[in-house]
Amino acid sequence: MNGVGFVWREAVAGLRRNVTMSVAMMLTTAISLGMLGAGLLAVRTIDRTQDLYYSQLAVQVALDEPTSAGDPDCSSPTCAALRGQLQSDPLVAGVTYESRDAAYQRFLRIYAGQSILQLVRPQSLPATLRVTLRDPTRGDAIVQEFSNRPGVRNVVDQRRLVEDLFTFLGSVRNAAFGLASVQALAALLLISNTIQVSAFTRRTEVGIMRLVGATRWYTQVPFLIEAVITGVVGAVLATGGLVLGKLFFIDRLLSGRLISNAIPAVGMSDVLLFVAPLLIVIGAVIAAATGYVTLRLYVRS
Amino acid sequence: MLRLENVTKIYPTSARPALDGVSMDVEAGEFVFLIGPSGSGKSTLLRLLLREEVPSGGSVYVANWNVARLPNRKVPKLRQRMGCVFQDFRLLPNRSVADNVAFALEVTGKSEHTIRTVVPEMLELVNLTGKADRMPAELSGGEAQRVAIARALANRPLVLLADEPTGNLDPETSDDIMLLLDRINRAGTTIVMATHDRQIVDAMRRRVVELHLGRLARDDARGVYGARR
Repeated sequence: MNGVGFVWREAVAGLRRNVTMSVAMMLTTAISLGMLGAGLLAVRTIDRTQDLYYSQLAVQVALDEPTSAGDPDCSSPTCAALRGQLQSDPLVAGVTYESRDAAYQRFLRIYAGQSILQLVRPQSLPATLRVTLRDPTRGDAIVQEFSNRPGVRNVVDQRRLVEDLFTFLGSVRNAAFGLASVQALAALLLISNTIQVSAFTRRTEVGIMRLVGATRWYTQVPFLIEAVITGVVGAVLATGGLVLGKLFFIDRLLSGRLISNAIPAVGMSDVLLFVAPLLIVIGAVIAAATGYVTLRLYVRS
Repeated sequence: MLRLENVTKIYPTSARPALDGVSMDVEAGEFVFLIGPSGSGKSTLLRLLLREEVPSGGSVYVANWNVARLPNRKVPKLRQRMGCVFQDFRLLPNRSVADNVAFALEVTGKSEHTIRTVVPEMLELVNLTGKADRMPAELSGGEAQRVAIARALANRPLVLLADEPTGNLDPETSDDIMLLLDRINRAGTTIVMATHDRQIVDAMRRRVVELHLGRLARDDARGVYGARR
């Protein structure tokens, strides 16, 4: 294939002839792909966070004062009946009982050394039945069904409590994808325009090629390679940007005391092994497709 | 070698057909002048042979190819067997003489080895061996046209199509180019040359095909330019 060398040289010559445009094209592509990458990382983080939480989240059935008092192992008839009903519910995966004393011990552990301890007595805390669900999104059903049973103080679906966090992460993702698509449009138009300019600059050359019987490999593939190089360079720059973003922004943000345990960290492997290859493939494929369509629409074959 | 059967070409922007029922045959090894005033259809005829255009009616054959029916992907094969030269030479200004000739071989996928042997051969044929490394801007018009001829012949075409090849050259240089084309023709290459140059046509005494308003007006086996007008 002695045509490979020719096509490659022509493509590189095309990029160099029009350096300002090439750089603009690469940067725009990079920003677009960077945004897409950020969105993908957000999605990944959301999934992980959900995994982390949903494995621990439960519906808490808090028992009322008479039922809570002096029952270390759920042996009172009310508590045993509730437990039986929960265990036989098809939505329920498991039920554990936490007595008032156990809850108080846990409370002491969590708030060790803090002044709130002096305000709380074991009597202030209810005994609870922690219900884990087969499908963590079906907490509502348990809340509805068990809220007014005898012996129940209230029923809390913990999933509700963390929903705000997911809403936040979800909007990060949406914003990133939104910006990515606007930038992608700009990148596509730039690539398309650059190919048209490039084809126009080389119209004499391409005209002669067509005349002497060059196949489309020689007349069109250089333009496609030019576009694909742009896409790949853009993806590499985007990955570099994401690595910097991770090191200097995300890592600091997530190491803050408030959310360090709330959101799992973004790993370097997420950026380099998950997002980077995707961006390179997406960058190359989209650039090639844009190039192909442009050549079809604007350049005589 | 070339055959036109009742060929009509109508451009959508023009009221009158550019070619109107033209039929002609060119045998292998012939030298044909295509004459006629501007707008008579000479260039359209050449463009049909190259499949730059497709006819509105009739058929065009080059060797065994039915040109109008040729699928797009086979058009390059056709063009590799057709050499072309033009009034404006169409050389690549940023490539040397040798590279301009090599270009035709390179973009049709010939090997390094072929390119290294064929390019000097072609430059010798057109008498430009000493100028292989010159740039087109350093050449005279006659030299530039000889480079274009060398490039057109590099892929060993069956037919050489020349569209006003002497249109930009002074009479003496034109004579040199005609001597060269004559030599190429005698070596076996069929030549179809569109021209306005009365002197050349009269001097060569070859077949003359005259077009007038898109119709075949005259076809003389050994003609002169201005027999009727």
